[in-house]
Amino acid sequence: MEPPVLCEDLVKVYNSRKAKVTALDNLNLTVKEGEVFGLLGPNGAGKTTLVRILATLLKATSGHAEVGGFDVDKQENKVRQIIGYAGQDSERSAYWRLTVRENLLFFAHALRDIPIKISKERIEEIAEGVGFNDRLDRHFIALSGGEKQLVTVMRAILHNPQVCFLDEPSKSLDPMTSRRVRTFLKKYAQEHEMTLIITTHNMLEAEEVCDRLALINHGKLRFTGTPAEFKKRVTSKETLEIGTNNLSKELELNLLALSGVRDITHDVNIRLYCDDAFEVLPEVVELLKNSGLKVPVRMVEPSLEDAFAFFVENAKMR
Amino acid sequence: MPNPVKLFYMSVWRNLLTMTRYKANFVFEILSSFLFGFGMIIFAVAFDVNLLSNMVGSTNYVAFIIIGISFQSWQGTALWGSANMFQGELSTGQIDYRFSCPFSRYWYIASNIAASALQSTLFFIPMFCVALYFTSSTLTSLGVFLGLLATLLTVAVMAQLGAVLASLVLKYRQTTAIFSFFNFAFQMLTGMFVPFQLLPTPLQIVGYCLPITFGMDLVRHHVMGTLPIMSVTYEWIGLVLQLIVYAIIAKLAVMYLEKSGKEQGLHYL
Repeated sequence: MEPPVLCEDLVKVYNSRKAKVTALDNLNLTVKEGEVFGLLGPNGAGKTTLVRILATLLKATSGHAEVGGFDVDKQENKVRQIIGYAGQDSERSAYWRLTVRENLLFFAHALRDIPIKISKERIEEIAEGVGFNDRLDRHFIALSGGEKQLVTVMRAILHNPQVCFLDEPSKSLDPMTSRRVRTFLKKYAQEHEMTLIITTHNMLEAEEVCDRLALINHGKLRFTGTPAEFKKRVTSKETLEIGTNNLSKELELNLLALSGVRDITHDVNIRLYCDDAFEVLPEVVELLKNSGLKVPVRMVEPSLEDAFAFFVENAKMR
Repeated sequence: MPNPVKLFYMSVWRNLLTMTRYKANFVFEILSSFLFGFGMIIFAVAFDVNLLSNMVGSTNYVAFIIIGISFQSWQGTALWGSANMFQGELSTGQIDYRFSCPFSRYWYIASNIAASALQSTLFFIPMFCVALYFTSSTLTSLGVFLGLLATLLTVAVMAQLGAVLASLVLKYRQTTAIFSFFNFAFQMLTGMFVPFQLLPTPLQIVGYCLPITFGMDLVRHHVMGTLPIMSVTYEWIGLVLQLIVYAIIAKLAVMYLEKSGKEQGLHYL
């Protein structure tokens, strides 16, 4: 059985008069059937480029990619028949003056060839799943950013695609809607044996929904594995959190120089990744004290976000 | 695989829903079309009746100019309709979803142009009726039929040109100036406002390549009884040949320019 998504040595270089930008750099990736697969990476990492190549919207510079066993370059129409797609530009991605129901009916019947009666039923079914059935008769223009986003997600799965690409599906959603949508998507993917590929910056979403993740940075694949494996890369190091994000460069270097401290990341707080946090703790406190800083220091369980920050900030494989 | 007919009637449904949702605007658009037809009479007084008679064999300058103007409805459809649609889809990101769907790009454009052309018919009909009113002395049923057939063929050719212009958007993104160029050519080199026979020969040669020239001349000939710019049979053949040639060019252009657009991505850069 062919994997739903296969990339071999995929390269994409954007050529402009001023510069050459390598968006994907010899990327190799396999997604298994029925998987919910998350693509993580900082802005500009190459996630959207990858999704657009797989959705037949962009041509790779070199390498090979298949979706459902079909070559995305040579058999693009066959690929298009089995995929669903929701891009990032969702705010204006439907007809403003039509209602949500009219929009979805147009897309389902005209562009996806679903009979009108079935289209209407599917619209109701999916809208109910994501809690949108009370807004189906509102004009698209009157929806909030998050609601528009949701309409494009609904549109992407209307025709029960084998493989569905969602580019940051929860970008503008409030936490409650986001939770409802990810629960629905996970269930929907399982029930319909749909392989779902989502790009996201929402670590909670990635952790809750994704069976496996890939981390892309500077167009290179840095990691693939389950969310648990991803975190384990960091949890094998213990973490100390310092309650500030404003340390002098000198103090940071001194902290990094301590025996057993492996890495440092910056966020709202500073995090130190250590071989043995308990052992390092007194020395860290001493250094902070000597610098005249009175900030809390605690041992914490690393999150997926820590793992992400760890990979991205260090930009190297461990 | 979605078929073009389905895409066409769904596009018509979408356009009609959008148009009729704003009723006051819709009613006034139709009224304006009538008004525009009658308003053109003002320009007609500037015509030299003798010159017109010598050139086209008719002194009915009112109908002459109204028929010319009524063709502007199609001109907008061909030149701006589909290209504007693509430009809008590029800037809003809509094109990504459309192009991830399984249908021929050419038929996608052609279906949308056809739907848009049908919409334009609503604005063509009032003006055309005004023209028919002024041609009552020369009008025959066969004349109306052949006039409408020539119009239909002309619109089909214009749609092919529209597909070429729309596909240019995929590569060149901003193409307003290209539309303006063709707009000028359509207005000045096809006999829309002044008799084609008055144009210098080099401009007439350019005019023969434009889809409106033969169509408009045939409509005027069949409805008003004007002298055609060449043999009527040749004009019909010319129109059909234009349809075939422009359709081939349109198909190739859409194919090539989509490939080209995919190099950098189908969105504004």
